[in-house]
Amino acid sequence: MRRRQFATVGKLAACALIALWSLAPIVLIVTSSLKPENEIFAVPPTLGFSPTLKHYAALWERWPDFFAALGNSLIVTVGATLIALAASIPAGYAYSRFQQRWVQASAFWLIVVRLIPPIVVTLPLFPLVNALGLADTHLLLAVLYATFFVSLGAVVMRSFFDQVPRELDEAAAVDGAGRWMTLIRIIAPLGAQGALAVAVFVIVFAWNDFLFAFIFSATRAKTAPLVLSEMVGNFDGVDWGVLFAAATVQLAPILVFVLAAQKHLVAGLSAGATKG
Amino acid sequence: MREALATRLGMIAPAQALIAAVIAGPALYLVWLSFHTSSYGAAAVFVGLENYARVLGDAYFWRALANTAVIVLVVVHLELLLGLAMALLFASGVPLRRVMLAVVIAPYAVSEVAAVVMWRFMTDPDVGHVSALLRAVGLPMLEWSVVPAHGMVLVALLSVWLHLPFTFLILYAARLALPTELYEAARIDGATGWQAFRRITLPLLIPALLVAALFRLIFAFRLFSEVWLLTQGGPARSTEVVAVYLYLEAFRYNAFGAAAATGWLMVVGSLVLAAPYLWRLKRAARDAA
Repeated sequence: MRRRQFATVGKLAACALIALWSLAPIVLIVTSSLKPENEIFAVPPTLGFSPTLKHYAALWERWPDFFAALGNSLIVTVGATLIALAASIPAGYAYSRFQQRWVQASAFWLIVVRLIPPIVVTLPLFPLVNALGLADTHLLLAVLYATFFVSLGAVVMRSFFDQVPRELDEAAAVDGAGRWMTLIRIIAPLGAQGALAVAVFVIVFAWNDFLFAFIFSATRAKTAPLVLSEMVGNFDGVDWGVLFAAATVQLAPILVFVLAAQKHLVAGLSAGATKG
Repeated sequence: MREALATRLGMIAPAQALIAAVIAGPALYLVWLSFHTSSYGAAAVFVGLENYARVLGDAYFWRALANTAVIVLVVVHLELLLGLAMALLFASGVPLRRVMLAVVIAPYAVSEVAAVVMWRFMTDPDVGHVSALLRAVGLPMLEWSVVPAHGMVLVALLSVWLHLPFTFLILYAARLALPTELYEAARIDGATGWQAFRRITLPLLIPALLVAALFRLIFAFRLFSEVWLLTQGGPARSTEVVAVYLYLEAFRYNAFGAAAATGWLMVVGSLVLAAPYLWRLKRAARDAA
Protein backbone atom coordinates (compact mmCIF):
# COMPACT_ATOMS: atom_id res chain seq x y z
CA MET A 1 0.00 0.00 0.00
CA ARG A 2 2.74 2.40 0.98
CA ARG A 3 4.56 1.52 -2.19
CA ARG A 4 1.58 2.50 -4.32
CA GLN A 5 1.26 5.84 -2.53
CA PHE A 6 4.94 6.38 -3.09
CA ALA A 7 4.47 5.74 -6.82
CA THR A 8 1.54 8.16 -7.02
CA VAL A 9 3.50 10.90 -5.31
CA GLY A 10 6.43 10.23 -7.65
CA LYS A 11 4.15 10.46 -10.65
CA LEU A 12 2.63 13.74 -9.50
CA ALA A 13 6.09 15.16 -8.88
CA ALA A 14 7.19 14.10 -12.38
CA CYS A 15 4.12 15.76 -13.90
CA ALA A 16 4.79 18.95 -11.96
CA LEU A 17 8.40 18.97 -13.18
CA ILE A 18 7.31 18.42 -16.79
CA ALA A 19 4.75 21.22 -16.54
CA LEU A 20 7.36 23.56 -15.04
CA TRP A 21 9.89 22.80 -17.78
CA SER A 22 7.36 23.08 -20.57
CA LEU A 23 5.30 26.05 -19.44
CA ALA A 24 7.50 28.25 -17.25
CA PRO A 25 9.18 30.07 -20.17
CA ILE A 26 5.85 30.69 -21.90
CA VAL A 27 3.98 31.76 -18.78
CA LEU A 28 6.83 34.03 -17.74
CA ILE A 29 6.76 35.90 -21.06
CA VAL A 30 3.00 36.22 -21.26
CA THR A 31 2.52 37.37 -17.67
CA SER A 32 5.53 39.69 -17.79
CA SER A 33 4.08 41.41 -20.86
CA LEU A 34 1.21 42.50 -18.60
CA LYS A 35 3.33 43.64 -15.66
CA PRO A 36 4.56 47.11 -14.82
CA GLU A 37 8.35 47.41 -15.26
CA ASN A 38 9.34 47.13 -11.63
CA GLU A 39 7.50 43.83 -11.29
CA ILE A 40 8.99 42.22 -14.41
CA PHE A 41 12.29 41.81 -12.63
CA ALA A 42 10.93 40.75 -9.24
CA VAL A 43 12.54 37.60 -7.83
CA PRO A 44 10.71 35.30 -7.39
CA PRO A 45 8.25 36.26 -10.16
CA THR A 46 5.09 37.86 -8.80
CA LEU A 47 1.74 36.33 -9.59
CA GLY A 48 -0.68 38.76 -7.96
CA PHE A 49 0.16 41.79 -10.07
CA SER A 50 -2.18 44.41 -11.39
CA PRO A 51 -2.18 43.88 -15.16
CA THR A 52 -1.36 46.78 -17.46
CA LEU A 53 -1.54 47.09 -21.24
CA LYS A 54 1.07 49.83 -21.41
CA HIS A 55 3.69 47.61 -23.09
CA TYR A 56 1.19 46.76 -25.80
CA ALA A 57 0.43 50.44 -26.26
CA ALA A 58 4.16 51.17 -26.49
CA LEU A 59 4.57 48.37 -29.01
CA TRP A 60 1.78 49.85 -31.14
CA GLU A 61 3.36 53.29 -31.00
CA ARG A 62 7.03 52.44 -31.46
CA TRP A 63 6.94 49.40 -33.73
CA PRO A 64 4.24 49.95 -36.38
CA ASP A 65 6.48 47.66 -38.46
CA PHE A 66 5.58 44.77 -36.24
CA PHE A 67 1.87 44.90 -37.00
CA ALA A 68 2.48 45.18 -40.74
CA ALA A 69 4.73 42.14 -40.34
CA LEU A 70 1.96 40.23 -38.61
CA GLY A 71 -0.18 40.87 -41.66
CA ASN A 72 2.62 39.61 -43.89
CA SER A 73 2.97 36.49 -41.75
CA LEU A 74 -0.73 35.83 -42.13
CA ILE A 75 -0.66 36.23 -45.93
CA VAL A 76 2.42 34.04 -46.29
CA THR A 77 1.04 31.37 -43.94
CA VAL A 78 -2.31 31.14 -45.73
CA GLY A 79 -0.59 31.09 -49.14
CA ALA A 80 1.88 28.40 -48.08
CA THR A 81 -0.90 26.24 -46.68
CA LEU A 82 -2.98 26.45 -49.86
CA ILE A 83 -0.01 25.68 -52.11
CA ALA A 84 1.14 22.78 -49.93
CA LEU A 85 -2.33 21.24 -49.86
CA ALA A 86 -2.91 21.74 -53.59
CA ALA A 87 0.35 19.89 -54.30
CA SER A 88 0.29 17.16 -51.65
CA ILE A 89 -3.35 16.02 -51.93
CA PRO A 90 -3.16 14.83 -55.56
CA ALA A 91 0.37 13.48 -54.99
CA GLY A 92 -0.74 11.56 -51.90
CA TYR A 93 -3.67 10.14 -53.86
CA ALA A 94 -1.43 9.07 -56.74
CA TYR A 95 1.04 7.43 -54.35
CA SER A 96 -1.79 5.60 -52.61
CA ARG A 97 -3.52 4.33 -55.78
CA PHE A 98 -0.95 3.94 -58.56
CA GLN A 99 1.58 1.19 -57.93
CA GLN A 100 3.72 1.66 -61.05
CA ARG A 101 7.39 1.59 -60.20
CA TRP A 102 8.12 5.07 -61.57
CA VAL A 103 5.28 6.57 -59.53
CA GLN A 104 6.57 5.01 -56.32
CA ALA A 105 10.15 5.96 -57.19
CA SER A 106 9.07 9.58 -57.47
CA ALA A 107 7.59 9.31 -53.95
CA PHE A 108 10.94 8.09 -52.66
CA TRP A 109 12.66 10.94 -54.49
CA LEU A 110 10.50 13.47 -52.62
CA ILE A 111 11.84 12.11 -49.33
CA VAL A 112 15.47 11.84 -50.43
CA VAL A 113 15.58 15.44 -51.62
CA ARG A 114 14.48 16.61 -48.19
CA LEU A 115 17.87 15.55 -46.82
CA ILE A 116 19.22 18.80 -48.26
CA PRO A 117 19.10 21.46 -45.52
CA PRO A 118 17.09 24.63 -46.25
CA ILE A 119 20.07 26.90 -45.64
CA VAL A 120 22.04 25.06 -48.33
CA VAL A 121 19.27 25.78 -50.82
CA THR A 122 19.26 29.48 -49.99
CA LEU A 123 22.69 29.88 -51.63
CA PRO A 124 21.79 28.98 -55.22
CA LEU A 125 18.29 30.46 -54.81
CA PHE A 126 19.55 33.85 -53.75
CA PRO A 127 20.91 35.08 -57.13
CA LEU A 128 18.08 33.31 -58.96
CA VAL A 129 15.40 34.98 -56.87
CA ASN A 130 16.97 38.37 -57.39
CA ALA A 131 17.16 37.84 -61.14
CA LEU A 132 13.48 36.89 -61.24
CA GLY A 133 12.49 39.89 -59.15
CA LEU A 134 10.99 37.60 -56.52
CA ALA A 135 13.12 38.80 -53.64
CA ASP A 136 11.15 40.21 -50.75
CA THR A 137 7.75 39.02 -52.01
CA HIS A 138 4.99 37.15 -50.20
CA LEU A 139 4.77 34.68 -53.07
CA LEU A 140 8.39 33.59 -52.71
CA LEU A 141 8.10 32.92 -48.98
CA ALA A 142 4.81 31.07 -49.43
CA VAL A 143 6.32 28.83 -52.12
CA LEU A 144 9.43 28.15 -50.02
CA TYR A 145 7.44 27.17 -46.94
CA ALA A 146 5.04 25.04 -48.97
CA THR A 147 7.84 23.20 -50.77
CA PHE A 148 9.60 22.18 -47.59
CA PHE A 149 6.43 20.44 -46.42
CA VAL A 150 5.26 18.92 -49.69
CA SER A 151 7.26 15.72 -49.08
CA LEU A 152 5.84 15.14 -45.63
CA GLY A 153 2.44 16.29 -46.91
CA ALA A 154 2.40 13.70 -49.70
CA VAL A 155 3.45 10.93 -47.31
CA VAL A 156 0.82 11.87 -44.73
CA MET A 157 -1.91 12.16 -47.37
CA ARG A 158 -0.92 8.79 -48.83
CA SER A 159 -1.28 7.07 -45.48
CA PHE A 160 -4.68 8.68 -44.93
CA PHE A 161 -5.88 7.80 -48.45
CA ASP A 162 -4.68 4.23 -47.88
CA GLN A 163 -7.46 3.97 -45.27
CA VAL A 164 -10.14 4.93 -47.81
CA PRO A 165 -11.48 1.75 -49.46
CA ARG A 166 -10.65 1.40 -53.15
CA GLU A 167 -14.18 0.18 -53.82
CA LEU A 168 -15.22 3.84 -53.67
CA ASP A 169 -12.85 4.66 -56.55
CA GLU A 170 -14.17 1.74 -58.53
CA ALA A 171 -17.80 2.68 -57.91
CA ALA A 172 -17.08 6.23 -59.06
CA ALA A 173 -15.34 4.90 -62.18
CA VAL A 174 -18.37 2.73 -62.97
CA ASP A 175 -20.49 5.88 -62.68
CA GLY A 176 -18.25 7.46 -65.28
CA ALA A 177 -16.27 9.84 -63.07
CA GLY A 178 -12.65 10.45 -64.09
CA ARG A 179 -9.79 10.13 -61.62
CA TRP A 180 -9.63 13.85 -60.87
CA MET A 181 -13.37 14.03 -60.33
CA THR A 182 -13.21 10.97 -58.07
CA LEU A 183 -10.43 12.55 -56.04
CA ILE A 184 -12.06 15.94 -55.69
CA ARG A 185 -15.63 14.84 -55.07
CA ILE A 186 -15.27 11.59 -53.15
CA ILE A 187 -11.82 10.70 -51.88
CA ALA A 188 -10.38 14.07 -50.85
CA PRO A 189 -13.28 14.90 -48.47
CA LEU A 190 -12.71 11.51 -46.78
CA GLY A 191 -9.05 12.39 -46.31
CA ALA A 192 -9.87 15.74 -44.72
CA GLN A 193 -8.29 14.60 -41.44
CA GLY A 194 -5.00 14.12 -43.25
CA ALA A 195 -5.27 17.51 -44.95
CA LEU A 196 -5.82 19.09 -41.53
CA ALA A 197 -2.71 17.38 -40.19
CA VAL A 198 -0.63 18.63 -43.14
CA ALA A 199 -2.08 22.11 -42.68
CA VAL A 200 -1.01 22.15 -39.02
CA PHE A 201 2.61 21.39 -39.95
CA VAL A 202 2.76 24.02 -42.68
CA ILE A 203 1.00 26.70 -40.64
CA VAL A 204 3.32 26.29 -37.67
CA PHE A 205 6.40 26.32 -39.90
CA ALA A 206 5.35 29.31 -42.03
CA TRP A 207 4.17 31.38 -39.08
CA ASN A 208 7.29 30.75 -37.00
CA ASP A 209 10.17 30.44 -39.47
CA PHE A 210 13.11 32.75 -39.09
CA LEU A 211 15.69 31.49 -41.62
CA PHE A 212 13.93 32.07 -44.95
CA ALA A 213 12.41 35.37 -43.81
CA PHE A 214 15.85 36.49 -42.66
CA ILE A 215 17.51 35.74 -45.99
CA PHE A 216 14.74 36.49 -48.48
CA SER A 217 12.72 39.35 -47.05
CA ALA A 218 13.78 42.92 -46.40
CA THR A 219 10.86 45.31 -46.13
CA ARG A 220 7.73 44.46 -48.10
CA ALA A 221 7.35 40.82 -47.08
CA LYS A 222 9.02 41.01 -43.66
CA THR A 223 7.35 38.53 -41.29
CA ALA A 224 6.67 38.88 -37.57
CA PRO A 225 9.54 36.64 -36.34
CA LEU A 226 11.97 38.79 -38.30
CA VAL A 227 10.80 42.04 -36.70
CA LEU A 228 10.85 40.29 -33.33
CA SER A 229 14.48 39.34 -33.96
CA GLU A 230 15.30 42.97 -34.74
CA MET A 231 13.84 43.94 -31.39
CA VAL A 232 16.02 41.33 -29.66
CA GLY A 233 19.02 42.57 -31.59
CA ASN A 234 18.64 46.02 -30.06
CA PHE A 235 21.38 44.98 -27.70
CA ASP A 236 21.94 47.87 -25.32
CA GLY A 237 18.46 49.10 -24.84
CA VAL A 238 16.38 45.93 -24.74
CA ASP A 239 12.97 47.14 -23.64
CA TRP A 240 11.89 43.86 -22.08
CA GLY A 241 8.26 44.88 -21.55
CA VAL A 242 7.71 45.76 -25.23
CA LEU A 243 9.68 42.72 -26.33
CA PHE A 244 7.47 40.45 -24.20
CA ALA A 245 4.34 42.07 -25.61
CA ALA A 246 5.54 41.46 -29.18
CA ALA A 247 6.56 37.87 -28.40
CA THR A 248 3.16 37.26 -26.83
CA VAL A 249 1.32 38.65 -29.85
CA GLN A 250 3.42 36.51 -32.21
CA LEU A 251 2.98 33.41 -30.05
CA ALA A 252 -0.63 33.55 -28.84
CA PRO A 253 -2.55 32.77 -32.05
CA ILE A 254 -0.32 29.87 -33.08
CA LEU A 255 -0.29 28.42 -29.56
CA VAL A 256 -4.08 28.47 -29.40
CA PHE A 257 -4.21 26.93 -32.87
CA VAL A 258 -1.77 24.13 -32.06
CA LEU A 259 -3.57 23.21 -28.85
CA ALA A 260 -6.93 23.22 -30.66
CA ALA A 261 -5.52 21.07 -33.47
CA GLN A 262 -3.54 18.81 -31.13
CA LYS A 263 -5.39 15.68 -32.25
CA HIS A 264 -4.50 16.25 -35.91
CA LEU A 265 -0.90 17.01 -35.07
CA VAL A 266 -0.55 13.67 -33.30
CA ALA A 267 -2.33 11.78 -36.10
CA GLY A 268 -0.18 13.46 -38.76
CA LEU A 269 3.05 12.81 -36.89
CA SER A 270 2.36 9.13 -36.46
CA ALA A 271 1.31 8.80 -40.11
CA GLY A 272 4.40 10.67 -41.28
CA ALA A 273 6.88 8.93 -38.99
CA THR A 274 5.76 5.35 -39.44
CA LYS A 275 5.16 5.43 -43.17
CA GLY A 276 7.87 7.89 -44.10
CA MET B 1 -4.23 4.00 -71.16
CA ARG B 2 -2.79 7.25 -72.44
CA GLU B 3 -5.38 9.16 -70.44
CA ALA B 4 -4.33 7.26 -67.31
CA LEU B 5 -0.68 8.19 -67.81
CA ALA B 6 -1.59 11.85 -68.20
CA THR B 7 -3.62 11.67 -64.99
CA ARG B 8 -0.77 10.08 -63.05
CA LEU B 9 1.70 12.64 -64.30
CA GLY B 10 -0.71 15.46 -63.61
CA MET B 11 -1.30 14.35 -60.06
CA ILE B 12 2.31 14.14 -59.02
CA ALA B 13 3.43 17.08 -61.17
CA PRO B 14 2.69 19.97 -58.76
CA ALA B 15 4.61 18.39 -55.87
CA GLN B 16 7.50 17.32 -58.10
CA ALA B 17 7.64 20.72 -59.80
CA LEU B 18 7.92 22.53 -56.46
CA ILE B 19 10.64 20.16 -55.27
CA ALA B 20 12.51 20.43 -58.57
CA ALA B 21 12.34 24.21 -58.76
CA VAL B 22 13.09 25.00 -55.13
CA ILE B 23 15.30 22.15 -53.90
CA ALA B 24 16.61 19.70 -56.51
CA GLY B 25 17.40 22.19 -59.28
CA PRO B 26 19.15 24.68 -57.00
CA ALA B 27 21.06 21.78 -55.40
CA LEU B 28 22.43 20.84 -58.82
CA TYR B 29 23.41 24.44 -59.44
CA LEU B 30 25.11 24.28 -56.05
CA VAL B 31 27.34 21.44 -57.29
CA TRP B 32 28.42 23.68 -60.16
CA LEU B 33 28.95 26.61 -57.80
CA SER B 34 31.11 24.55 -55.50
CA PHE B 35 33.59 23.89 -58.32
CA HIS B 36 33.82 27.54 -59.27
CA THR B 37 35.03 30.65 -57.62
CA SER B 38 32.49 33.39 -57.80
CA SER B 39 31.45 36.24 -55.67
CA TYR B 40 28.01 37.59 -56.14
CA GLY B 41 27.80 39.43 -59.47
CA ALA B 42 31.25 38.45 -60.78
CA ALA B 43 31.99 35.96 -63.56
CA ALA B 44 32.71 32.43 -62.34
CA VAL B 45 36.03 30.67 -62.87
CA PHE B 46 36.41 26.89 -62.68
CA VAL B 47 38.70 25.96 -59.80
CA GLY B 48 38.13 22.23 -59.36
CA LEU B 49 38.27 21.12 -55.76
CA GLU B 50 39.89 24.30 -54.50
CA ASN B 51 36.77 25.43 -52.61
CA TYR B 52 36.57 22.12 -50.80
CA ALA B 53 40.28 22.28 -49.99
CA ARG B 54 39.88 25.79 -48.68
CA VAL B 55 36.96 24.91 -46.43
CA LEU B 56 38.62 21.72 -45.19
CA GLY B 57 41.79 23.69 -44.46
CA ASP B 58 39.93 26.32 -42.45
CA ALA B 59 40.24 25.90 -38.68
CA TYR B 60 36.94 27.79 -38.22
CA PHE B 61 35.14 25.17 -40.29
CA TRP B 62 36.44 22.37 -38.10
CA ARG B 63 35.50 24.20 -34.96
CA ALA B 64 32.00 24.79 -36.36
CA LEU B 65 31.75 21.12 -37.31
CA ALA B 66 32.90 19.99 -33.86
CA ASN B 67 30.44 22.37 -32.17
CA THR B 68 27.62 21.08 -34.36
CA ALA B 69 28.46 17.42 -33.72
CA VAL B 70 28.63 17.93 -29.95
CA ILE B 71 25.41 19.94 -29.76
CA VAL B 72 23.52 17.59 -32.08
CA LEU B 73 24.60 14.41 -30.29
CA VAL B 74 23.88 15.84 -26.84
CA VAL B 75 20.56 17.37 -27.85
CA VAL B 76 19.21 14.37 -29.74
CA HIS B 77 20.14 11.79 -27.11
CA LEU B 78 18.85 13.95 -24.30
CA GLU B 79 15.59 14.30 -26.22
CA LEU B 80 15.34 10.55 -26.80
CA LEU B 81 15.96 9.83 -23.13
CA LEU B 82 13.51 12.41 -21.83
CA GLY B 83 10.98 11.66 -24.55
CA LEU B 84 11.07 7.95 -23.79
CA ALA B 85 10.74 8.51 -20.04
CA MET B 86 7.79 10.83 -20.61
CA ALA B 87 6.14 8.47 -23.09
CA LEU B 88 6.33 5.64 -20.54
CA LEU B 89 5.05 7.90 -17.77
CA PHE B 90 2.08 8.94 -19.92
CA ALA B 91 1.39 5.35 -20.98
CA SER B 92 1.26 4.27 -17.34
CA GLY B 93 -1.48 6.83 -16.77
CA VAL B 94 -1.14 10.42 -15.57
CA PRO B 95 -3.74 12.65 -13.95
CA LEU B 96 -5.53 15.01 -16.39
CA ARG B 97 -3.99 13.24 -19.36
CA ARG B 98 -5.42 15.59 -22.01
CA VAL B 99 -4.28 18.69 -20.17
CA MET B 100 -0.84 17.21 -19.58
CA LEU B 101 -0.55 16.37 -23.29
CA ALA B 102 -1.36 19.97 -24.18
CA VAL B 103 1.24 21.13 -21.66
CA VAL B 104 3.94 18.96 -23.20
CA ILE B 105 3.06 19.95 -26.77
CA ALA B 106 2.97 23.72 -26.08
CA PRO B 107 6.64 24.47 -26.92
CA TYR B 108 6.06 23.02 -30.41
CA ALA B 109 4.06 26.19 -31.19
CA VAL B 110 6.82 28.55 -30.07
CA SER B 111 8.99 30.16 -32.76
CA GLU B 112 12.76 30.04 -32.44
CA VAL B 113 12.80 33.81 -32.02
CA ALA B 114 10.21 33.83 -29.22
CA ALA B 115 12.04 30.96 -27.54
CA VAL B 116 15.27 32.95 -27.68
CA VAL B 117 13.47 35.91 -26.08
CA MET B 118 12.28 33.65 -23.27
CA TRP B 119 15.57 31.91 -22.55
CA ARG B 120 17.65 35.02 -22.99
CA PHE B 121 15.56 36.78 -20.41
CA MET B 122 15.55 33.87 -17.97
CA THR B 123 19.33 33.49 -18.16
CA ASP B 124 20.18 37.19 -18.31
CA PRO B 125 23.05 37.57 -15.79
CA ASP B 126 21.53 40.71 -14.26
CA VAL B 127 17.78 40.26 -14.30
CA GLY B 128 17.10 36.62 -15.26
CA HIS B 129 15.14 34.35 -12.96
CA VAL B 130 17.20 31.26 -13.76
CA SER B 131 20.35 33.28 -13.04
CA ALA B 132 18.87 34.36 -9.71
CA LEU B 133 18.03 30.73 -8.92
CA LEU B 134 21.53 29.55 -9.84
CA ARG B 135 23.03 32.30 -7.70
CA ALA B 136 20.76 31.40 -4.78
CA VAL B 137 21.89 27.76 -4.75
CA GLY B 138 25.52 28.78 -5.25
CA LEU B 139 25.96 27.48 -8.80
CA PRO B 140 27.93 29.37 -11.44
CA MET B 141 25.85 31.52 -13.78
CA LEU B 142 25.35 30.90 -17.47
CA GLU B 143 27.47 33.68 -18.94
CA TRP B 144 26.46 32.74 -22.45
CA SER B 145 27.59 35.94 -24.11
CA VAL B 146 31.12 35.69 -22.68
CA VAL B 147 31.95 32.01 -22.12
CA PRO B 148 31.65 29.91 -25.30
CA ALA B 149 30.83 26.67 -23.45
CA HIS B 150 27.96 28.41 -21.65
CA GLY B 151 26.64 29.71 -24.93
CA MET B 152 26.57 26.16 -26.26
CA VAL B 153 24.83 24.90 -23.13
CA LEU B 154 22.13 27.51 -23.62
CA VAL B 155 21.73 26.65 -27.31
CA ALA B 156 21.41 22.96 -26.38
CA LEU B 157 18.84 23.67 -23.65
CA LEU B 158 16.82 25.80 -26.03
CA SER B 159 16.90 23.14 -28.75
CA VAL B 160 15.79 20.41 -26.39
CA TRP B 161 12.99 22.63 -25.12
CA LEU B 162 11.76 23.40 -28.64
CA HIS B 163 11.96 19.89 -30.06
CA LEU B 164 11.12 17.59 -27.15
CA PRO B 165 7.38 17.67 -28.08
CA PHE B 166 8.17 16.16 -31.50
CA THR B 167 10.37 13.38 -30.11
CA PHE B 168 7.92 12.68 -27.31
CA LEU B 169 4.92 12.43 -29.66
CA ILE B 170 6.64 9.90 -31.94
CA LEU B 171 7.65 7.72 -29.00
CA TYR B 172 4.30 8.09 -27.23
CA ALA B 173 2.35 7.08 -30.36
CA ALA B 174 4.62 4.07 -30.78
CA ARG B 175 4.22 3.07 -27.12
CA LEU B 176 0.41 3.29 -27.37
CA ALA B 177 0.50 1.02 -30.41
CA LEU B 178 2.09 -1.84 -28.41
CA PRO B 179 -0.44 -4.61 -27.68
CA THR B 180 -1.58 -4.68 -24.04
CA GLU B 181 -1.82 -8.50 -24.07
CA LEU B 182 1.96 -8.68 -23.95
CA TYR B 183 1.99 -6.81 -20.66
CA GLU B 184 -0.80 -8.94 -19.22
CA ALA B 185 1.08 -12.09 -20.18
CA ALA B 186 4.22 -10.69 -18.62
CA ARG B 187 2.39 -9.86 -15.41
CA ILE B 188 0.89 -13.33 -15.19
CA ASP B 189 4.37 -14.75 -15.63
CA GLY B 190 5.43 -12.64 -12.66
CA ALA B 191 7.63 -10.16 -14.50
CA THR B 192 8.64 -7.03 -12.59
CA GLY B 193 8.12 -3.58 -14.08
CA TRP B 194 11.79 -3.37 -14.96
CA GLN B 195 11.77 -6.78 -16.65
CA ALA B 196 8.70 -5.81 -18.69
CA PHE B 197 10.48 -2.65 -19.79
CA ARG B 198 13.74 -4.41 -20.59
CA ARG B 199 12.22 -7.42 -22.37
CA ILE B 200 9.07 -6.01 -23.99
CA THR B 201 8.87 -2.22 -24.18
CA LEU B 202 12.42 -1.38 -25.15
CA PRO B 203 12.90 -3.99 -27.91
CA LEU B 204 9.53 -3.18 -29.45
CA LEU B 205 10.20 0.54 -29.34
CA ILE B 206 13.58 0.28 -31.05
CA PRO B 207 12.20 1.07 -34.53
CA ALA B 208 10.38 4.17 -33.24
CA LEU B 209 13.50 5.26 -31.33
CA LEU B 210 15.56 4.87 -34.49
CA VAL B 211 13.07 6.83 -36.59
CA ALA B 212 12.94 9.63 -34.02
CA ALA B 213 16.74 9.66 -33.76
CA LEU B 214 17.14 9.82 -37.55
CA PHE B 215 14.64 12.64 -37.99
CA ARG B 216 16.16 14.66 -35.20
CA LEU B 217 19.82 14.02 -36.12
CA ILE B 218 19.24 15.18 -39.68
CA PHE B 219 17.17 18.19 -38.65
CA ALA B 220 19.29 19.19 -35.67
CA PHE B 221 22.35 19.30 -37.92
CA ARG B 222 20.74 22.32 -39.64
CA LEU B 223 20.78 24.29 -36.40
CA PHE B 224 21.02 27.96 -37.34
CA SER B 225 18.44 30.33 -35.88
CA GLU B 226 19.03 29.58 -32.20
CA VAL B 227 22.77 30.13 -32.52
CA TRP B 228 22.43 33.14 -34.79
CA LEU B 229 19.93 34.86 -32.52
CA LEU B 230 21.82 34.11 -29.31
CA THR B 231 25.52 34.51 -30.05
CA GLN B 232 25.86 35.05 -33.83
CA GLY B 233 28.64 32.47 -33.47
CA GLY B 234 30.63 34.70 -31.14
CA PRO B 235 32.59 35.54 -29.15
CA ALA B 236 35.41 35.37 -31.72
CA ARG B 237 33.65 32.72 -33.86
CA SER B 238 33.89 30.22 -30.98
CA THR B 239 30.24 29.08 -30.93
CA GLU B 240 29.73 28.85 -34.68
CA VAL B 241 27.90 25.84 -36.07
CA VAL B 242 28.18 24.65 -39.67
CA ALA B 243 25.05 26.46 -40.85
CA VAL B 244 26.28 29.74 -39.36
CA TYR B 245 29.71 29.19 -40.95
CA LEU B 246 27.99 28.67 -44.30
CA TYR B 247 25.88 31.78 -43.90
CA LEU B 248 28.89 33.93 -43.01
CA GLU B 249 30.96 32.60 -45.92
CA ALA B 250 28.18 33.35 -48.38
CA PHE B 251 26.58 36.52 -47.16
CA ARG B 252 29.30 38.23 -45.16
CA TYR B 253 32.56 37.15 -46.82
CA ASN B 254 30.93 36.87 -50.23
CA ALA B 255 32.57 33.51 -50.94
CA PHE B 256 29.76 31.65 -52.66
CA GLY B 257 32.03 28.86 -53.91
CA ALA B 258 33.31 28.05 -50.43
CA ALA B 259 29.81 28.32 -49.03
CA ALA B 260 28.53 25.92 -51.70
CA ALA B 261 31.26 23.43 -50.81
CA THR B 262 30.28 23.84 -47.14
CA GLY B 263 26.70 23.07 -48.13
CA TRP B 264 27.65 19.71 -49.58
CA LEU B 265 29.93 18.95 -46.65
CA MET B 266 26.94 19.70 -44.44
CA VAL B 267 24.76 17.18 -46.25
CA VAL B 268 27.53 14.58 -45.99
CA GLY B 269 28.12 15.42 -42.34
CA SER B 270 24.49 14.91 -41.35
CA LEU B 271 24.39 11.59 -43.24
CA VAL B 272 27.58 10.37 -41.56
CA LEU B 273 26.16 11.24 -38.16
CA ALA B 274 22.90 9.48 -39.02
CA ALA B 275 24.52 6.47 -40.74
CA PRO B 276 24.73 4.15 -37.69
CA TYR B 277 21.04 4.71 -37.00
CA LEU B 278 20.09 4.27 -40.65
CA TRP B 279 22.02 1.01 -40.73
CA ARG B 280 20.33 -0.23 -37.54
CA LEU B 281 16.92 0.76 -38.89
CA LYS B 282 17.53 -1.17 -42.10
CA ARG B 283 18.51 -4.22 -40.07
CA ALA B 284 15.43 -3.84 -37.84
CA ALA B 285 13.20 -3.60 -40.93
CA ARG B 286 14.82 -6.72 -42.38
CA ASP B 287 14.38 -8.64 -39.13
CA ALA B 288 10.73 -7.67 -39.02
CA ALA B 289 10.11 -8.76 -42.61
